[in-house]
Amino acid sequence: MTTLEFADVSFSYSPKKFVEQMSFTVAEGELVGLMGPNGAGKSTVLKLAAGLLSPRKGSVLVGKQAIGSYSGKERAKLVAYLPQILDLHAPFRVGELVRMGEYPQDGTQALSVEEALHIVGLHEKTDTHLAELSGGERRRAYIAMTLVQGAKVLLLDEPMASLDIRYQFDLYRLLKDIVREKGVSVFMSSHDIGMGAMLDRLILVKGGVVIAQGDPDTVLTEDTVQDAYDLNESVGTYMATNRTICRAFAVAGA
Amino acid sequence: MKRKNGYPVLVAAALCAASLGIIVVSVASGPRVLNPFSMDIETCRMLLAIRLPRTAVALLMGGALGASGAILQGIFRNPLADPYILGISSGASLAASFGLLFGISLFTLSVPILAFIGAIATGAAVVALGHDRKGLQPERLLLAGVGVGFFLSAVLMLVMTMSVDDGLKRAILWMSGDLSMVDWELVPVGLLFILAGLVIALARRKGLNALTLGDDIAHSLGFSPTKERYILFVAASLMTAAAVSMGGVVGFVGLVVPHVVRRHVGSDASVVLPLSVVAGGTLLCLADAIGRTVAAPLELPAGVIAALIGSPYFIYLLGQKRA
Repeated sequence: MTTLEFADVSFSYSPKKFVEQMSFTVAEGELVGLMGPNGAGKSTVLKLAAGLLSPRKGSVLVGKQAIGSYSGKERAKLVAYLPQILDLHAPFRVGELVRMGEYPQDGTQALSVEEALHIVGLHEKTDTHLAELSGGERRRAYIAMTLVQGAKVLLLDEPMASLDIRYQFDLYRLLKDIVREKGVSVFMSSHDIGMGAMLDRLILVKGGVVIAQGDPDTVLTEDTVQDAYDLNESVGTYMATNRTICRAFAVAGA
Repeated sequence: MKRKNGYPVLVAAALCAASLGIIVVSVASGPRVLNPFSMDIETCRMLLAIRLPRTAVALLMGGALGASGAILQGIFRNPLADPYILGISSGASLAASFGLLFGISLFTLSVPILAFIGAIATGAAVVALGHDRKGLQPERLLLAGVGVGFFLSAVLMLVMTMSVDDGLKRAILWMSGDLSMVDWELVPVGLLFILAGLVIALARRKGLNALTLGDDIAHSLGFSPTKERYILFVAASLMTAAAVSMGGVVGFVGLVVPHVVRRHVGSDASVVLPLSVVAGGTLLCLADAIGRTVAAPLELPAGVIAALIGSPYFIYLLGQKRA
C-alpha cells in the first residue's frame, strides 16, 4: 500500500527551481533511499514530504490525502522528520526526549516510552543527558521519539552522515527492524553508495529532477552514477568494493 | 546523572520551605527588626504599608523574571536570552516611564499596559533584527538585544534629564531596579499580569519543550513553531511588563535562575517554569532583605545583591562536572 506519494511536485525558492515535476511513491514497510549530488534537492524533497514546505505545483500525499490538509497532531501521527543535524546541546535526558513523542497522542499511543527505548537499545540510558551520548546513540534516541509518536513514515535527512561505520550499521539494522516489524516506511537521503545498495529501493535525483528510480541494482549502474555526479572517472571498482563491504556487514549483523 | 523520579519533588519541597523562611525573614528584617510576638499599632502599620508590599513585590518580580527567562531561553534556543539582555525590560521601562512623565497614567492599568506594549514592541524589533535570510540567528539576536536595550536606556535617560515631572523620581527608580519606593498600588495588576503569563506558558509547556529541540522537530511533533513562539513570547512579555511596572529593571535573575533550576531538575518546562518562579522570587526577596539590612540606613539595590549572592553559586554549578 502506498504511504507517501509525490505527484508531479514542483517547488522553487524563486527564481531558482529546486524540485521539478517529481513523481514517486514510498510503500508501507519499505526502506527507500534518496540519493544524488549536493544541491540536487534531497533536503527540499524531505521537507516537502514532512509538510515543512508546500509544493508550488502538484501534491504531496500521505495516505491519499495532501500533507497540508492534516492538522498538526494528525500529521505528527503519520509523518516524522529528523533533520541532518540534531542539536548536540538539547538540554534533555533520553527519557524526557522520547516522552515528547507522546505530545501528538491523546493517551492512545501504540508504543510506550519503555518499549521504544528497548527497540533502539537505549533502555539503560533513560536518565543520561543527550549531550553525553555518541552521535549514533543520539540519532537512536530521536528515532525512539518518532516511534512513540506513532508516525507511519519516517523521513531522515542524511542519518548516516558523521557516523562511523559501526554506528552506520547499527542504525541500518535498527531501520530494517522498524520497517519489518512495525510496518513503518523509512525514506532517507544518503551519500553512501554502498549503503544505498542495501536499501529496498532508490530514487536518484539531480538538479531537482528524478533521473532514475527502482531497485538499487538497476539505479546504481556505473552510467547513472557517472551521470548523476558528473564524473568522468570509472567508478565501477569503487561501487563494487563499497557494496561488497556493506553487504558483508549486513549479513554478519543479520 | 542518574536520579530518582522523586528528585524534582524533593528540590521543589526544599525550595518552597526555603522560600517561606526567607519571606518571614524579609518581612521581619530591615533597619528596624520587627518582633512578631510584640506588635503595636505602629509596627502593624509599618508591616502593612512598607514591609509586606515590598516583600510581595520582590517575590512577584523575581518569580516573573525567572519564568520569563526560562521562556525566552527556550523559544530562542539561546542560553543567554533573558528580558534584560534582549532589551525587553528597557522597552517596557521606557514605555511605562513615558506614561508617567507625560501624564498618561489615567488609571492603574495604564502603567503595566504601556510596559506590556513597550515589551512587545521591543521584543518584535529585536527578533526582526536578529533574523537574517536563513532565519533567527542566536548571536545576531543577542547583539540586537544589547544594541536596542542600550539605545532605549539612553532615550529614557535623555527624557528624564529634560523632565522635571513628578514621575521623574519613579522613572529613575525603574532604571535602577530599586524596591525602596514600592507600595500596594500596582501589586494586584502586576499579580494579574504574572498569573496570566504563567497560565499561558504552562498551557504551552509542551510547545516550549518542542521548540527547545528546534523548529523542524517541533513541527514534526505537530506544533506550529511560529504560533507557539508568538504565544510564549506574549506570556514572557506580560510577566516582564509586570515586573518592570512594579519595581523597575533588574538583570541577572531572569538569566541565571532558569539555568540553576535546570541543573537540579532537568529541562522539562512543566517543572522548570513553576520552579523558576519560586526560585526567582525567593532570590530577589532574600536579596532585597539583605540589601536593606546590611548597610542600614543605606539601601543597596536588590538586583546588585541578587547578582552578588547568585553569581558565585552559578559559577560553582558551571564548574561541576555534569555526570
